[in-house]
Amino acid sequence: MTPSKLKVVHYLNQFFGQVGQEEKADLPFMVKKGPVGPGMALQKILGEKGEVVGTIICGDNYFADNLEKAAEDGVRLAASFTPELFFAGPAFEAGRYGLSCGAICRKVQERLAIPAITGMFVENPGVELYRRDVYICRTGKSAAKMAEDLTKMVNLAFHILSPERGTRLISGENIIRPEEGDYFPRGLLKNEFTEKTAAARGVDMLLAKIQGKPFLTEAGKVKERAIPPPSPIADLTKAEIALISDGGLTWKGNPDGFRGRGNVVWSKYEIDQFLPQNYSAENYEVVHTGYYPLHVLGNPNRLVPVDAMRDLEKEGLVGKLHPFIYSTSGNANTASVCERIGREMAQDLKSTKVGGVILTST
Amino acid sequence: MRLEIESIDIQAVRPGTHTGVSDHVLYINLKELEEIILRDERILSVELNVTSPGEPVRIVNVVDVIQPRCKLGHEKEDFPGYLGKLVIAGQGKTRSLRGIAVVLSNSFSKRLYSSVIDMFGLGADRGIYGKMQNLVIHPIPAEGVEERAFETALKVAGLKIAVYLARSSVGTSPDQVEIFDLDIPLVLSQNRGSLPRIVYYYQIHTPQHDYKGIGDPMLYGRDVTDLMPTLLHPNEILDGALVSTHTIRKMETYSIQNHPLILELYKRHGKELWFAGTVIGVATVDPIQRQRMANMVGNLIANYLGADGAILTKVHGGMPHVDISMVGEACEALGVKTTVFVNFGHSVGTRSDSLLFDTEVLNAVVNLGQTLERIGLPRPGDLKILGGTSETLVYNPEFKQKAGDPVLEVEGMFLAGLYNHLGGAKIIACEY
Repeated sequence: MTPSKLKVVHYLNQFFGQVGQEEKADLPFMVKKGPVGPGMALQKILGEKGEVVGTIICGDNYFADNLEKAAEDGVRLAASFTPELFFAGPAFEAGRYGLSCGAICRKVQERLAIPAITGMFVENPGVELYRRDVYICRTGKSAAKMAEDLTKMVNLAFHILSPERGTRLISGENIIRPEEGDYFPRGLLKNEFTEKTAAARGVDMLLAKIQGKPFLTEAGKVKERAIPPPSPIADLTKAEIALISDGGLTWKGNPDGFRGRGNVVWSKYEIDQFLPQNYSAENYEVVHTGYYPLHVLGNPNRLVPVDAMRDLEKEGLVGKLHPFIYSTSGNANTASVCERIGREMAQDLKSTKVGGVILTST
Repeated sequence: MRLEIESIDIQAVRPGTHTGVSDHVLYINLKELEEIILRDERILSVELNVTSPGEPVRIVNVVDVIQPRCKLGHEKEDFPGYLGKLVIAGQGKTRSLRGIAVVLSNSFSKRLYSSVIDMFGLGADRGIYGKMQNLVIHPIPAEGVEERAFETALKVAGLKIAVYLARSSVGTSPDQVEIFDLDIPLVLSQNRGSLPRIVYYYQIHTPQHDYKGIGDPMLYGRDVTDLMPTLLHPNEILDGALVSTHTIRKMETYSIQNHPLILELYKRHGKELWFAGTVIGVATVDPIQRQRMANMVGNLIANYLGADGAILTKVHGGMPHVDISMVGEACEALGVKTTVFVNFGHSVGTRSDSLLFDTEVLNAVVNLGQTLERIGLPRPGDLKILGGTSETLVYNPEFKQKAGDPVLEVEGMFLAGLYNHLGGAKIIACEY
């Protein structure tokens, strides 16, 4: 092997690893020197640029039954070859194989800090699960175009390894576009240079819209999410009401690790301790860079209206104020994170007697 | 309303015994400038530096950038309401220096954000100000001067110096004269044939970031937090009626003076469209007020200016996004087609994740980029820092970083002159 050849390790399931069919799907890991099965084609495509020094093979069920642990084991085996590049599959339409390819690639990147690339058919569940972390090339349903698919994976790998600076992205990174590399978008937003200023694009777009000519919006389309409202509270005077706010209110020192923007966590605080009547304003912090928290820091009730709720409780308009308030920071968050936080809060509230929630935002 | 802007291209800046322009070189007597600035008792002393593209210089604590400009002839009131007497801006002759900017650095600000300008490497390549000559004003407050008063003093100093530099060029013949002549009553009455009438809606401010709950002066010298939607002639915007706040949020005074969308609409006026004026307004934290103002903007644009189409720009922030979309809906409901400019505030997800509206009519969105993307700016060995020291903190949401660190990980929105909410940048956010 010449020194310039990259050491490559390849992962395959029992079927492509030529160990057996479904009856061998429970087999644990095995390691073979050199390329096996599709690895032969991979070697041919790599040519002088790389050498498949080893192949890791595992049964589909064995891997899929305990993805995380199996991925760890697989990486340990791969590491013994000191690889500089890692490929898995392609897995095509095979679901369990797709999961194992995604899991092992992610782990290889994490542990060995080398590029790890796989390929799948668009409907493979591994795509949705791993495309954010791993480069997954688009393949057909079956192995009919194996050589073509492997060529895409190899080209993408060498593009990633290239030390060249890119010219298209503001950041100077040298990342190939998803459609050019034929991989599934990884859910990243990156800034590109354009030919025209936004001002020119905007005027063009408006003129086209007025003239009824086709135009391309630059922001995608919002996914429709119809959420059926729950049935109304039958008797508010008996209902327990909780307060939720995304204004970033927490204890001084931010013990729960809120982030001022792009936050991913939430917390609940017992009102008797957190916001008693004789609260002390210096005990609080607002972790939220989207507004200037002058009034909230002066009196947290202006964000989470405990005082007003206590009055309503006394007047008998509402049955009871839930003893905990739920707090998070909502600023420049992605919809999926907000949905998760909402789901987790709702799950928590379902174990209580809370019949309604008041959300206060900033 | 007719405005002539006479521009002189400045190719170099040199120290001189007097301040003036000769053969595209601006000679500056820094002592003169210092004297002008120190006439303000709120300022104890001031560091003045000139820096040119390619120098290993990083400017930090940047709170505004101003183009040197002054009024000529009778109407000699510069930045009326802020500096000069209250007159209407946007008429007569204005002298402007190109290729040079006045940069304001405030190392005493306790606000969370400020910006950076690099005169070298990637940072200079990406932002527009690293390609210009810059005069950096970095003052120290006099004892006992309140934070806000000092901020205003710095802005006034910057505007005064911008005027002084431009005025020093009087007598030199301009390299270009641009005429901004827009008679809106005529535009509204003329037979426009097939050309659509286009209005620009300029959301100039959001109160959510008002420092200590108080807005900074912006429009004819006063704050705009409670501004109701109003008509403004585009020339007023270009010619000093409006300046930036005391922090940079991708809308520094320089880009208001060279408002990219207004210039674009002027360029196409009479050829592809009729430019029928500008409506300005602000975002609000009050939902009822939001609806009230959206309705008023829609009404001004549709029923007063009779627009066929409107272009809407917003300031930085999520809440202003809601305001702008309600303005858009109000326009569309009155039959005015719209294009909305938005920026994205996240680095993961899809482009549609950033849309805070879900309506069929707002289907023409211009994407100004994902403004929180971080850019690594390596430092040269002989880095010189203006406006602060190598210990000056530069905002990063995840870790503390200092201006002199080996690589500065700066979020794009804090690299002055990279993004532009007013449409001037050639940037788009794409899914990868």
